Amino acid sequence: MNKQIQYTGLALNMLFGLCVFLFLGYFYRYHLVYQEQFQMFLFTSDYLAETTHKPGGFADYAGRFFTQFYYIPWLGALFIALLLMLIQRQLLKIADNFGKKPAFMPLTFIPSLFYWILLCEEHYMLAGVISLVMALMAMQVYMQIDSKRLRIVYALLMLPMLYWLAGGTYVVFAILCILLEINAKEITRMDILLYTIGCLVLIIALPLLARGIWGQYPLSKLWSGANYYRYQTIFPSTILLLWGTVILVPVLFRYLPSFTRPGTKWIWTGALIMALGFLTNKGIIRMADWQKEEIMTYDYYIRKQQWDEVIRMANQKTPMSPLSVSFLNLALCKQGLMSDQMFRYFQNGPEGLMPSFVRDFTMPMMAGEVYYHLGFVNTAQRFAFEAMEAIPDFQKSSRAVKRLAETNLVNGEYVVAGKYLRMLQHTLYYRDWANKTWTVLRDEKKIEANPEWSHLRRYRTQTDFLFSEQEKEQMLGVLLQQDFTNRMAYEYLMAYCLLTKDLQHFFSYYPLGKEIAGQQIPLSYQEALIYIWGLSNNDPTTIPYPVSADVKRRVQEYGRVYTNYQNSEPMLKNQFSDTYWYYLHFRK
Amino acid sequence: MKRNFLYILIIPFLLLMPACRETISSPQVQDNRPEIFPDYVEVTVPATIAPLNFRATGDYSKINAVIKGSQSGELDIQDDESIRIHPKAWERLLADNMGGSLDITVSLKQEGEWIQYASFPVYISEYPIDYGLVYRLIAPGYEVYSKMGIYQRNLSDFTQTALLENTLMPGTCMNCHSFCVTNPRQMSLHLRGEYGATVLMSDSETRLYNTKTDQTISACVYPYWHPSGKYIAYSVNQTQQAFHEIKSERVEVLDLQSDIVVYNRETNKLFSCPLLKSKAAFETYPSFSPDGRTMYFCTAEPKPLPGEYNHLRYSLCRISFDPDSGTFGNQVDTLINARELNKSVSTPRPSYDGKYIMYTLADYGNFMIWHREADLWLLDVETGETRALTEANSDDADSYHSWSSNSHWFVFGSRRIDGLYTRPYIASMDENGKVTKPFLVPQNHPSYYETSLYSFNVPEFVSGPVKMDVREVEKKALSKERIPFLMVND
Repeated sequence: MNKQIQYTGLALNMLFGLCVFLFLGYFYRYHLVYQEQFQMFLFTSDYLAETTHKPGGFADYAGRFFTQFYYIPWLGALFIALLLMLIQRQLLKIADNFGKKPAFMPLTFIPSLFYWILLCEEHYMLAGVISLVMALMAMQVYMQIDSKRLRIVYALLMLPMLYWLAGGTYVVFAILCILLEINAKEITRMDILLYTIGCLVLIIALPLLARGIWGQYPLSKLWSGANYYRYQTIFPSTILLLWGTVILVPVLFRYLPSFTRPGTKWIWTGALIMALGFLTNKGIIRMADWQKEEIMTYDYYIRKQQWDEVIRMANQKTPMSPLSVSFLNLALCKQGLMSDQMFRYFQNGPEGLMPSFVRDFTMPMMAGEVYYHLGFVNTAQRFAFEAMEAIPDFQKSSRAVKRLAETNLVNGEYVVAGKYLRMLQHTLYYRDWANKTWTVLRDEKKIEANPEWSHLRRYRTQTDFLFSEQEKEQMLGVLLQQDFTNRMAYEYLMAYCLLTKDLQHFFSYYPLGKEIAGQQIPLSYQEALIYIWGLSNNDPTTIPYPVSADVKRRVQEYGRVYTNYQNSEPMLKNQFSDTYWYYLHFRK
Repeated sequence: MKRNFLYILIIPFLLLMPACRETISSPQVQDNRPEIFPDYVEVTVPATIAPLNFRATGDYSKINAVIKGSQSGELDIQDDESIRIHPKAWERLLADNMGGSLDITVSLKQEGEWIQYASFPVYISEYPIDYGLVYRLIAPGYEVYSKMGIYQRNLSDFTQTALLENTLMPGTCMNCHSFCVTNPRQMSLHLRGEYGATVLMSDSETRLYNTKTDQTISACVYPYWHPSGKYIAYSVNQTQQAFHEIKSERVEVLDLQSDIVVYNRETNKLFSCPLLKSKAAFETYPSFSPDGRTMYFCTAEPKPLPGEYNHLRYSLCRISFDPDSGTFGNQVDTLINARELNKSVSTPRPSYDGKYIMYTLADYGNFMIWHREADLWLLDVETGETRALTEANSDDADSYHSWSSNSHWFVFGSRRIDGLYTRPYIASMDENGKVTKPFLVPQNHPSYYETSLYSFNVPEFVSGPVKMDVREVEKKALSKERIPFLMVND
């Protein structure tokens, strides 16, 4: 019977791993991709030394090592699943030492399930998982030692080592060791007291001693060691709670009843599986942020220049946040659809076209894509640099460094570009690109042969001006003035005027695009033009521009409802929410 | 038996060691000098400098350097990647050849062949240099900053220690470290952010101040200590950053307004004079002459900003100062006229022997590290003659500079390597004002500067190691208790 439950445990462990793998690797995969970009794992001795020199540094190093695989989400998810499965198996072994209670085996999933829920928030770092695995590994070795004296010596020696390697989880290890001895009753009460005092002294003394060596860290950081959370000043209480479950679950095994009747065992096991499954489901629903996942997905497609995918996504669900709308507009423009189709989708003003700079590590990294493709190379470079500098745990970013290499290359700053490329050559997933780019450095012909770089070199500004959040229209104007065949600059300039409802400027800029647009006027321009015409002419159908009959018909219909009803928005929404007129009148 | 076993292990290892080293016989000799990084060809160094480790540029499988002293001593070093000199042997070689030179012959093994390049000298100065440098390491970013800190570097070896890093107080920016004539026991430093303060460290104590007063534009910046240690001159500025869109430029730092104030450490009072806080001018970058009786500063005619940022030009001026009464004269003399020159002056730094003022000159503005055209210039105080330091300048930004205590060395930040990351260079100057080719502060690994993502900001000489009580600074910074500066009205 126990054997059966044991096999069930193994099967449950695998099922759990599969669930984690599928959830993170498929349903929640862009969270992993997102996280990968906020670090740059280098296969260099300097990086190893720099990361591992402080308490918990090895857990950080290992965490970053595995995090780099998030670049391929299923691989990242596989590693997370394996680590969480390992924690469960480790805890089961420890719990068995406190008392074999097969019926309660599902309880040993609690810390792994807890961590799964926590990892749904992108700021929980993998170093925390590794740190816990290391403490439990140390504990497993402890349990293998038969001699009680040797065990104690091992624990007292292991504590400083674990503190240095894994950071804060050395406390978990110490507490489990003491509890195990209390449970085993192999040593006297006095010895346990002395052992406890010894462990306590080490727990308190180690961070204090570390302060003498690593004086540039606050005591709280030296105590926790590894980076459990992206923000350095925050040590989430949830981590303490999780450690609490790691300690509590084995202790529970000491006190929980042993059932003899097979039926009872199965009932308890089944009930616990159901309860834990229910709670995990609740936890994941609460912790998983699908809005963020959506933006991260958009960002991924933009980063990979999969414009069709962006539009496909928007067709399934209209993006609403300024950032995702700006991604959609970029994709539409890249596919030559923006001026025709942008008002088919929700538009939230100029921020949904060219997002403003925000001092954080996410927004500039993503928004920089818009400026990059528009040819504001210096702004794209600044956004990438600032995003990287804003990463709260002081890491560098492969994605940002790649963008810095690209923008410096486009600007002809080959020495700096080379510096960044050399760094990327020490990464796993950016190495090939860096090696390939290295071969074109300083080779103007090869750079010109690259469509993206030659495009940017052609359209980037030759006239100096200072970037201004308040003067984006003028900035776009400078780009266009330089080259009237710059379709993107023209469409963005016109879209900017439309979104800011600046019809006067729209009308004055409109003729500039003759070379680009040709005879066919894009739909949103037709709608704006006929609206402008209608302001000074009673019959909009007399407009001297080639506006389609359908637009003429629709504007009359729209005008009729708009002018005759005070609260016309709900009436117009169904039929006209895809028009510029609706945006003009009803969107802020 | 155990001992024999050890010998069995060690002897073959020792025998094999020299076998890795190749003897260079009849190499192909070339007339040209090797291209090495850092460029130490014909530089002048102090006799106590750390080993000038270097590597050659280009591809090679082995590098060999024979370093021969003009008076005595020789080192022969071979490696696969770079020449890294044993510190003790180097120290001896420098000491034995002080006032003379080292002749360095580099050979490279390329495609199986040894090529010997023409040798080059490294001159060893008789002028001693101070203990080390203090600088800030920070990525050359825009508005946001990641890990940064103030560090000290022992120039005799490669030891760099952190004085204060923002890992201790995340989110804190630290800048404007300054010393009273290179004295490591008299230091000031600004913290910005949640734990903002000006840290003043003296022999007896460390105090944290709030330097913003109701009567001043901002908290105090750009400090310069009076040689007596009694006063510290500051600039108060309303600063704004702007970002260029053209490929050759990046950042512009503008002062929308600025004044000069002086802090009296004995009375805890801040004072100024109408000539240093005129509405009709921007005044900034104060410094004192070594006798403490003159203040040098930069001043510009205000322009509509940021629109006319490239028309803002600063002149170099001086005003007399009476250290006994803490009062200024009533006349400002212009030493370098920006309007006449159509250039702009920044960071005047008088040499401690009183002979010269070194300053940075660029086309416009005052934050020169972002100006590629920025160069170092030297003004002879006695004759009034001024000249560009062509011996030290490069095609890229050469900016913030500081004198050694004996005024025979100066350190400055230069972006000549890659145009973005600021690196510390040191050059010497003799009694006649003759300046030698500057050398890049040596690092243990020659590739350090190529891989480091930090700029060296505000390099300052210190005559001894700075002993900062980090715990005390942390405790006082976190307490948020600050001693307020009190402004004395004119």
